[in-house]
Amino acid sequence: MFEDPANDTAERHRKQGTEPEAPDFAFDPDDPWTQTFQAGLERADLKGKTVYEVGVGTGVNLAFILRTCGAARAYGSDLDPRLVMLAERNLRSLSPQHAEHFEPVHGSVSLIDTDDARSKITKTDVVIACIPQVGEPNDLRLTAFRKAQSVELPDGAETQAEDHIAHYYPWTAFDEYPYNSVGLGLNEALLRRIRQHAPKAQVVMNFGCRIGSDIIFECFEANGYRPEKLASKIVHQHVGTDISFFVALEKALCGTDLEKQLVCKFYADPDGTHPLSATDAQRLIEKDPHVDLYHEVSVIRGIPIEN
Amino acid sequence: MQDSNTIDCNGLSPAPTVLRIMQALIGRKDSNVPLNVLVGSDCDCARLSVSLGDLADDVQLASNLRQFATIN
Ligand SMILES: C[S@@+](CC[C@H](N)C(=O)[O-])C[C@H]1O[C@@H](n2cnc3c(N)ncnc32)[C@H](O)[C@@H]1O
Repeated sequence: MFEDPANDTAERHRKQGTEPEAPDFAFDPDDPWTQTFQAGLERADLKGKTVYEVGVGTGVNLAFILRTCGAARAYGSDLDPRLVMLAERNLRSLSPQHAEHFEPVHGSVSLIDTDDARSKITKTDVVIACIPQVGEPNDLRLTAFRKAQSVELPDGAETQAEDHIAHYYPWTAFDEYPYNSVGLGLNEALLRRIRQHAPKAQVVMNFGCRIGSDIIFECFEANGYRPEKLASKIVHQHVGTDISFFVALEKALCGTDLEKQLVCKFYADPDGTHPLSATDAQRLIEKDPHVDLYHEVSVIRGIPIEN
Repeated sequence: MQDSNTIDCNGLSPAPTVLRIMQALIGRKDSNVPLNVLVGSDCDCARLSVSLGDLADDVQLASNLRQFATIN
């Protein structure tokens, strides 16, 4: 396990006298996920590199890679078109001297699925991303699978927070990707696109390891990348983030003799010493919806394997 | 893209392979013909069939798309 990310993001912003603009529709830039991601980015040898961030959110990572990691140039886009404009504004206020090193891809861009995004990806050395790894709770096929395992959606799981698309992805739409079966379809789709358009680019991606890091590593290898963990932290499971998908996966494997090959990884304590399966975690949530639960967040670098 | 009766499980270890097959069988429209499942050449198909239990009757496993044409 790695040590905690050295500097708390919020603390760093306070010291510098700047706070990013963070409306409700953007992922909270002070979230421990972002702190962990930045701890990994710091170790990713970005000095002098051209970096593309898929899913820029508030843009705090763009400021971080240009200012702290010494990246030479940054590109970025997001599925929510408001966010790339927010990122531009935040970069101008957090690190004005670097603002001109950022070239945004405007509009709603899923992954790198526009001509402008693809053309910038071909000029990129390192692609970074922290994009959803849980299927949309209302997805019809996912609902059918969950119901077949007799797993109920908890009350309130269907209500959408302002930053809903920061947490969930349309599961059926990514079902052509094999690792969609464990919630990695959107991330696998990104790996395949990068492999196709920038075969020499490295990737640095942030994952909630509720599904276990082994299977995330497998996904990298299956898509032609050698994975390595750059940073890791045990974080609070967001109260209200639906874990029924993970429970359904465990239940589906009951009686297949493969149960031990996929046990989700939650923890009862912030040190990560008391592991819990998703089924155990769900039982605790049912008793007390505000129970403190934890899981690992890891930053994984993928180095393309030469063909 | 895969055709709607074929799923790609190439590269998946046994647990996610079984999950993917279960998910595909639940969402399927035409259940009269077996579901084609593309697996890696290193797949232990006999063991996979045991893990699938009764569901094994609803699938055809092959490591190469051409094999489905011969089976179906
Ligand atoms: C968890 S937030 C991370 C934000 C920021 N990168 C960070 O690390 O703080 C995920 C971001 O990915 C974006 N996103 C979700 N689905 C996406 C997709 N298909 N393509 C591009 N971005 C996506 C969301 O709008 C959100 O800004």
